[in-house]
Amino acid sequence: MHPGVTPLVEARDVHVHFGTARAVDGVSISVMPGEVVALVGESGSGKTTLIRALQGLQPVTSGEIRIRGAEPEWKGRAGRRTFHDPGIQMVFQDPTGALNPRHTIYEIVAEGLRIQGRRDDEEELVATAMARAGLRPPERFFSLYPHQISGGQRQRVVIAGALVMEPSLLLADEPVASLDASIRGEILALFRSLVDESGLAVLVVTHDLGLAWNIADRIAVMYLGRIVEVGAVEEVLAEPQHPYTRALLSVVPGRDEKPQLLKGEIPDLRNVPSGCRFHPRCPLLQSGLLPEEVAARCVGEDPGRIGLEEIRAAACWAVAR
Amino acid sequence: MSEPVLVLEDLRVTYRTSGGAVPAVRGVSLEIPAGGSLGLAGESGCGKSTIAGAVLRLLPGTAEVSGRVLLAGKDVYELKPGGLRAVRWTAGAIVFQGALHALNPVQRIGDQIAEPMLVHQTVSTPKAAKTRVAELLESVGIPARRAAAYPHQLSGGQRQRVLIAMALACDPQLLIADEPTTALDVMVQAQVLELLADLRRQRDLALLFITHDLSLLTTYCDRLAIMYAGRIVEEGPSGDVFAGPSHPYTRGLAAAFPRIGDRSSRMAPSGLGGDPPDPAALPAGCPFHPRCPLARPECREAEPALRISGPERRAACILV
Repeated sequence: MHPGVTPLVEARDVHVHFGTARAVDGVSISVMPGEVVALVGESGSGKTTLIRALQGLQPVTSGEIRIRGAEPEWKGRAGRRTFHDPGIQMVFQDPTGALNPRHTIYEIVAEGLRIQGRRDDEEELVATAMARAGLRPPERFFSLYPHQISGGQRQRVVIAGALVMEPSLLLADEPVASLDASIRGEILALFRSLVDESGLAVLVVTHDLGLAWNIADRIAVMYLGRIVEVGAVEEVLAEPQHPYTRALLSVVPGRDEKPQLLKGEIPDLRNVPSGCRFHPRCPLLQSGLLPEEVAARCVGEDPGRIGLEEIRAAACWAVAR
Repeated sequence: MSEPVLVLEDLRVTYRTSGGAVPAVRGVSLEIPAGGSLGLAGESGCGKSTIAGAVLRLLPGTAEVSGRVLLAGKDVYELKPGGLRAVRWTAGAIVFQGALHALNPVQRIGDQIAEPMLVHQTVSTPKAAKTRVAELLESVGIPARRAAAYPHQLSGGQRQRVLIAMALACDPQLLIADEPTTALDVMVQAQVLELLADLRRQRDLALLFITHDLSLLTTYCDRLAIMYAGRIVEEGPSGDVFAGPSHPYTRGLAAAFPRIGDRSSRMAPSGLGGDPPDPAALPAGCPFHPRCPLARPECREAEPALRISGPERRAACILV
């Protein structure tokens, strides 16, 4: 899809199992420079485990992770291998919980640099990162404590703490879920402008399809450890193919369609249904409108994993691939 | 028209703190007709949850309340303790956010649902209560045999359903839902809200729905009231308000919930900028003026009152 461009991060058929629980069960995904990818799913879909694996914090059971085209520098013994790459930084969801209340804003933003060893240009790097995160003029915030600034500014401090490491990829887990609606727009606009202005890439984990519409180029929808649909945001949200994506879109408040409620909740990861893992809740299968041979496949045969080379795909027997 | 189930007349709530008096609600008047629904929206600190507590007299002792609250025709702040207990649960019941904290972790859910019925003697025997608990659980989509379960054995969505069953136990006329689905996944949220809508139709139940999510209110409420700094700044039929806000604050808030498919919001997240004001130090004049893209010099002088801005609509802005 981007010939000649090396992805910042690539996961090939990554599995993360916790005992018999298959939290991530064969996922392939890539993020290109200058791109925002939204990873959408509900609790229990495996999206948080997947980004922890991409960040190097979560050992993977099998599969391959590549950072800027190369194997990361794995540390630790087999089965427990992790890696650390300062080019990948994480932005956490709750800014109040993520900030040490007894540290000044300057110390909080400088922390990542100091872990790597003190450097002479620290103040300059901190000021630059804060300005990029929209804390201007940065000097005004240096000696303040988290409780002295607003919720929106606290989220900017969290982002500055990531930017100070000069990352090429930000991983953001529900970056605006705990913020007021009015602040949400500002923070999303900040992510988008960082990407547009400096070629940074963002992989954002969210349950909010409106967020994807607001800032993402591509979207991947996860269900029970697998990506079930991928594509450009415009295509997936205008014409969702997978019945799960369709249902998720139908329950976005304020839409003109009737909400398509799925029965029950996401099944237990230790007990992934046979055939298509979505089939026990699939409204398309339950409608009885599928040809008999397709319905038999839904129940009995895994529709398989979506590969890295697939630009637009849905893992569904009722959708041609 | 029948008597409204809830009337607030110039409700004011001030919290006494060590730092001085903090006005949380500064003169709110509203009405919900029997079986009707009102959505109350606004940012953190705008006073919306204080209103929920004020209706059932659940606020802490540091809160000073003035004005009138009429629930099913009774003035809640004139009632003796016995009368107040009777009004809670039977006239108005509340569903809080965070079902995990609102339920007792060491009591079976069936017993928790039965408790208000036994206290209010809406059932005469424990056996009758058991039958009623079974009906209530089934009505919220939980199998009756789950009455013996403890809260931790249920999922977040199921716990929220239990809270709804509990709120319905004494057949109230008004349900107050304060961010009832905030902690839930989108699909579970939709399940719970559709359930609530069904129950309302079956029981002719009125709803006061409080949330920061304006888009939810437009789907589930007839009317919408937008709060800012302790006052209602706009109200009207929910579809009209969301689609064509009169007040610049409502416009900013509505824009924060993009319509998927709307080209104007694609790659263009929008918000208000700035932060909600500190209730202890409100700006002079219109409290929204420091964040208002349309503010004029006169906005700093006097706080505008609500005035008619369209059919069945009011807004508090000098530009209306």
